[in-house]
Amino acid sequence: MTNILLLEDLPEIRSWLKVLVKGVFPDSQIHEAARVHDALELVSAVKFNLALCDLGLPDGSGVDVVAALRESQPECQSVVVTIHDDDDHLFPALQAGAFGYLLKEQARELIAEQLKRMSAGEPPLSPSIARRVISHFAAQTRPQERPQNMPHVALTDRENEVLLRVAKGYTLPEIGVQLNLSRHTIADYVKQIYRKLNVSSRAEAALEAQRLGLFRRS
Amino acid sequence: MPKPPAIPAAAWWLARRCVGWCLAALSACLAIALPALAADDQIVVIDRAVSVQHIVEPGPVRLPDDWAVTRPRFEGSVWYRTGFDRPTGVDSHELMALYIERICSNAEVYLNGHRIFSGGRMGEPVTRNCHYPQLITLPAALLQERGNTLDVHLQGHALTRVASRQRAGGLSAIKVGPQALLADAYDDRLFWNVTAVQFANVALAVLGCVMVGMGWMNRREAYLGYFGWLCLAWGLLSARVWWRDMPWDTGVMEFLFCTGFAPLVALAVQFLLSYAGLRSRWIENALAAQWVLLPATLLLAGPGRLFLMASIWYAVLAAEVVAATGLHLVTTWRNKRQDFWAMAGLLSAILALLCVQLAMEYDAIPNPGVPLLQLAAPLLFIGMAVRLLQVFARALRAAEDGRENLEGRVHEITAEIERNFAQLAELRVEQVTEKERKRIAADLHDDLGAKLLTIVHTSESERISTLAREALEEMRLSVRGLTGKPMRLADALADWRAETVSRLGQANIEADWRGPTEEIEQLLPARGFVQTTRILREAVSNIIKHSGASHCKVRCAISDRQFGLTVQDNGKGIPMELDGKLDRGHGMSSMKNRAKQMQGQCLVESGPGYGTVIRLTVPL
Repeated sequence: MTNILLLEDLPEIRSWLKVLVKGVFPDSQIHEAARVHDALELVSAVKFNLALCDLGLPDGSGVDVVAALRESQPECQSVVVTIHDDDDHLFPALQAGAFGYLLKEQARELIAEQLKRMSAGEPPLSPSIARRVISHFAAQTRPQERPQNMPHVALTDRENEVLLRVAKGYTLPEIGVQLNLSRHTIADYVKQIYRKLNVSSRAEAALEAQRLGLFRRS
Repeated sequence: MPKPPAIPAAAWWLARRCVGWCLAALSACLAIALPALAADDQIVVIDRAVSVQHIVEPGPVRLPDDWAVTRPRFEGSVWYRTGFDRPTGVDSHELMALYIERICSNAEVYLNGHRIFSGGRMGEPVTRNCHYPQLITLPAALLQERGNTLDVHLQGHALTRVASRQRAGGLSAIKVGPQALLADAYDDRLFWNVTAVQFANVALAVLGCVMVGMGWMNRREAYLGYFGWLCLAWGLLSARVWWRDMPWDTGVMEFLFCTGFAPLVALAVQFLLSYAGLRSRWIENALAAQWVLLPATLLLAGPGRLFLMASIWYAVLAAEVVAATGLHLVTTWRNKRQDFWAMAGLLSAILALLCVQLAMEYDAIPNPGVPLLQLAAPLLFIGMAVRLLQVFARALRAAEDGRENLEGRVHEITAEIERNFAQLAELRVEQVTEKERKRIAADLHDDLGAKLLTIVHTSESERISTLAREALEEMRLSVRGLTGKPMRLADALADWRAETVSRLGQANIEADWRGPTEEIEQLLPARGFVQTTRILREAVSNIIKHSGASHCKVRCAISDRQFGLTVQDNGKGIPMELDGKLDRGHGMSSMKNRAKQMQGQCLVESGPGYGTVIRLTVPL
């Protein structure tokens, strides 16, 4: 039994997505929500395996739901389903713990294919997102910008290699061939990159909150 | 501040010289002019008389009769009787006169029993004629050829009861001769003894007022004020030389004048100290105490010992001035070397003058009969004032320079602020524009995007849903062009490569993309990126949909001025229309239009069976 959260405010698209998801995961139970508020309530009540979240919602951003899921249900896989294809919108969601993204206007078959791959542990990674990840970690490794008590999350050489090649425009299968790695290994690297992005982003956010005095140092 | 030129130093040297010359000339004038009279046979010099002092027996005296020597304790009136014959060398019609160089304090003159002159009040307060020479015309009717009797009734003061030797009683030698001849000597003497001192007093008063005013305006330069008051006090004290009829008894006036030296010296010491930048509460208190102590000791000693006490105090006060001068010069030598020589010259001249005056008081050197101190000191004071004004003017100039400097800085800073403000305003406009762009982009996404999306996924017709999807893509690209910043060409190439290779891969077309291997630093405007993306996307769509190709080659070439993309497939090519143009359905014209919008070029080469080559050139 698989629990899937479907957060989308447009009814037509929601029902269209529901049909699509049902097709990919026939045994799943789909919980629908049209608002961030409803989604957060569902998150506190139901244990999810997969969450499909729209970003621009009437009462907020789907990023908050992604973050809440990451916090309370780390094993749940969050995927952003959005109309925005630019990394200005996608990167914050990835930082909050999203594991990939789907563009809504794509054809049904394409989305189904990507969804399958993602749930199989093969998240997508575009060159522009890769560049954002690289600059995020580059800023973190600069010692003067990283305070003493901040957990240092570093990418391995191989992960860096994969990121650099993606940033240059090579596709993941191409990189697999270039580095003589299997499709699964490459996918693992990408997953690991997403995970580390989330961990270091959370540490950064906590530190920022501490600096602003939101939390008392214990 | 630039160093003042050497001229002031030279001027000072000159000024100091002038003061020296003046003093020398003064002495020379007196030395030459006065004794010359005695050599003339037209003038009778009377230097013997019989004097009657009070009740004491009459006895012979020699003139000049200086009471300080002959009767230091006598206070009152003395009668002098002498006789003379009309000088033989003088024509009988000549008007005759009597010239007495010094009468102290006052006298009446009788010729052959008739009173012919009175100098003023003979009782207290006695008129003070000590510094005034007297020229008395002899009435022809009373004057006999021979055996004239001359009586001088002199009212004078004992040395012990006055504060200065110059005001002890006394009668100089008497000269009888033609009035015209004696008038010259009289005028000369009167000028130096009285008129010059009056001039000096007026000058000092004016100077003092100016200095006090300046000191008042510039409280930080306290020495200006001290100097001004010093000038005024000196002027007031010097007035005793020419001020004949005083409101009170001689004893009171002498006491008051002597007391006046305490504040005078206090001001001098304070001036010297504050001009050197020193200040001591202890000294200030001591000077104030002295102001009380001096009159107290004079009162205690009584009027009979006034001269003695005054002499002691003069020594003490002079010592104070010397000490203050020394302190001043030492400090100046250490801190303000450029001030030292001018001040040293002026102060040593004043000290020398003081020593001469003190020596006269103690009778160590003969009295020249001229108030030397009262004449020369004002000159030195004026010299000092010039020096102070020079220093003040220099400070003023420095302040002015500083102010101008500051004004310049303020101008600079104002300009900078204005510049910054303009930049800020520009930035603000940019920010507002950016915000507006983002709002429009968000609106497009939320409204138009959502509607198009609904069409994409709900339309029954595949064609409509494809159109809506394309419209959505167009909208996104437009929005990106609207909000985008220029991006690195290398990043743009990476994006294009990833999209093209993965799309071709999904369509099972072998992709062969080769770009430049070296680092690319050029930037591509957002518009250029969007248009090129559309062109490339269109070209790849054509290959996938229409060409039936199995292989696609993409080549990028970048130079300083432009970059070029060549997309070549091995498909069946684009069929010619009847009019010889390439198929419009393949979007060739829109690709060309987009290239034209970027001032670029898009060339399509195709023939049935030869595949298609699209060459895109875009300027950077």
